[in-house]
Amino acid sequence: MRADKKTKLLAKQLFKLSLVNGAVSPEQVTGVLGYIEKHAPRQSLALLQLYHRAIATELAKASAVVEHAGPVSDAALQSIAAAMTKKYSRPVTASAKANPKLLAGLRVRVGSDVYESTVAGQLATLSL
Amino acid sequence: MSNVIAQIEQQIAKLSTKAVKKNTGSIRSVADGVARLDGLSDVMYNEMIAFPGGAIGIALNLEEDEVGCVVLGDISQLKEGDEVQTTGKLLSVPVGRGLLGRVVDALGRPVDGKGPIDAKESYPVEKIAPGIMVRKSVNQPLFTGIMAIDSMIPIGRGQRELIIGDRGTGKTTICIDTIINQARINKVGLASGNKDFRPVYSIYVAVGQKQSNVVRTIAALEAAGALEYTVIVSATAADNPANQYLAPFSGASIGEWFMENGMDALIVYDDLSKHAVAYRQISLILKRPSGREAYPGDVFYLHSRLLERAARLDGKGSLTALPVIETQAGDVSAYIPTNVISITDGQIFLETDLFNQGIRPAVSVGLSVSRVGSSAQIKVTKQVGGKLKGELAQFRELAAFAQFGSDLDAKTKAQLDRGARIVELFKQPQLNPLAIEMQAAVLWALQKNYFDSIDTKQVVAAANSLKDYLTTRKADLLNSIRNEAKLTDAIEAGLKAAADEWKSTFAAKK
Repeated sequence: MRADKKTKLLAKQLFKLSLVNGAVSPEQVTGVLGYIEKHAPRQSLALLQLYHRAIATELAKASAVVEHAGPVSDAALQSIAAAMTKKYSRPVTASAKANPKLLAGLRVRVGSDVYESTVAGQLATLSL
Repeated sequence: MSNVIAQIEQQIAKLSTKAVKKNTGSIRSVADGVARLDGLSDVMYNEMIAFPGGAIGIALNLEEDEVGCVVLGDISQLKEGDEVQTTGKLLSVPVGRGLLGRVVDALGRPVDGKGPIDAKESYPVEKIAPGIMVRKSVNQPLFTGIMAIDSMIPIGRGQRELIIGDRGTGKTTICIDTIINQARINKVGLASGNKDFRPVYSIYVAVGQKQSNVVRTIAALEAAGALEYTVIVSATAADNPANQYLAPFSGASIGEWFMENGMDALIVYDDLSKHAVAYRQISLILKRPSGREAYPGDVFYLHSRLLERAARLDGKGSLTALPVIETQAGDVSAYIPTNVISITDGQIFLETDLFNQGIRPAVSVGLSVSRVGSSAQIKVTKQVGGKLKGELAQFRELAAFAQFGSDLDAKTKAQLDRGARIVELFKQPQLNPLAIEMQAAVLWALQKNYFDSIDTKQVVAAANSLKDYLTTRKADLLNSIRNEAKLTDAIEAGLKAAADEWKSTFAAKK
């Protein structure tokens, strides 16, 4: 079902309510979900989907997913988190995720930005 | 000392990190050549988007939480969730002389099977039209080789002249004839060794046409030896609407290269009605608000920004545009025709009735106009054809009245006879453009009443006989008309002698 204008607007308002000091607050999110469950606004499913997407996008902006093929030290993760926090002027946490397809190197994803320094990426560039 | 080395090495290590930043997103939906994308927070308007499998797209709708993107190429392999990324580049097409004689698609890729294109440069498809200060007024002629047009609705280099008419009235034929005429003029001019000669290169953009029609056009150009001076940009009806929407802009970029490098080019957009339809399709799928006839609000801007790119530049070259519009049942007041009429510097209107009466090219003299071309007309054409448009207009008016009765005074009858002869004289077979010197000679003979004693039905035969006579016997005279570009006393005397001689031989043959 496509969300109508009112649903989109409500999803946007609920998303804004979920932020505290520019970051997603788990307590606020719980409150918003409780509100939706209690009042059951029209197009609840579409509303929840829109709300989910907005929160997921916002959370992705605050976390750096570090994909790696070899081992990554905690110090490296911390330095990546610090660099990204400085670059985006907001608190960014780093988490590691193993990905052997990269062959070697790191790929860091923050929101829709991807910083790639991997052998697989370089090979892909060469193949073009 | 080792500390110093370590310091330098650290500095090098800092600089040599080869992390590449990419801005990515994912496909939310794909339908009818349009993809809706999540992410892509840094995307720019009209930026190229790289899709998996080598397909590319153009970001056309930048919305709050998604990006609308037309996909150029095969969308059958794309699926929801696929990762896409920005490229930081605008869509570009290869440009240069290497494209001459080639058939390319909307992205400048060869489709003629003649191998890769040797092009060192590329131009962005969307480009802002030249500004006011760099332009120069249109005052150099561009001969179509069609007598009715060159004498009454002249076109200048850098002009935008609309060709409008119903289906099957000869719009494309006029364009092809013009391209063939440019090739003929180029051959003569380049062979003459004249350093001031400026060849005209042609670009033919086929939008939404049947592939068989495009093949026929290519064959006609090849047979006439015009393909070597022509680039064909093809986005046929089988191509997706995104390619059809882009093809005229790609053609304009190819033409701009000639213009900016001091050469003259002619571009034919065949046709902008289908282009508008393709754009409407894209806009509706992108969910843009629709207006009159369901076209989006910016369909005027679509064509105005395209046609404004045709210009004559000061100190550089020119780009002349011949957009084509197909009307429905002669209705020039429909949305797209009125838009393009208002953008262009004049129009050549082709009428179905004239076409069916055998008057071909079926140019309606009353409705056709060239707003800037008369300043580009050469003197000889003005001298021999200056009064033609008025005479034809009078003829049409009198012909309408003459239907009511047969009692006509001598003057009216003479005007009717003369008008009928002019109409006959302007009949011209397709793919057979006439050199301007030949047009001038024939019109001079008309002006000096050499056709008055010939039966109206015999005028076409007489004109052909005169052309043959001049080509075979008076080539020097034709050359001097071409070189002088005006009627001097000597040329006029030569024409008189030639016409007298031809008249006697023609009369004897009869």
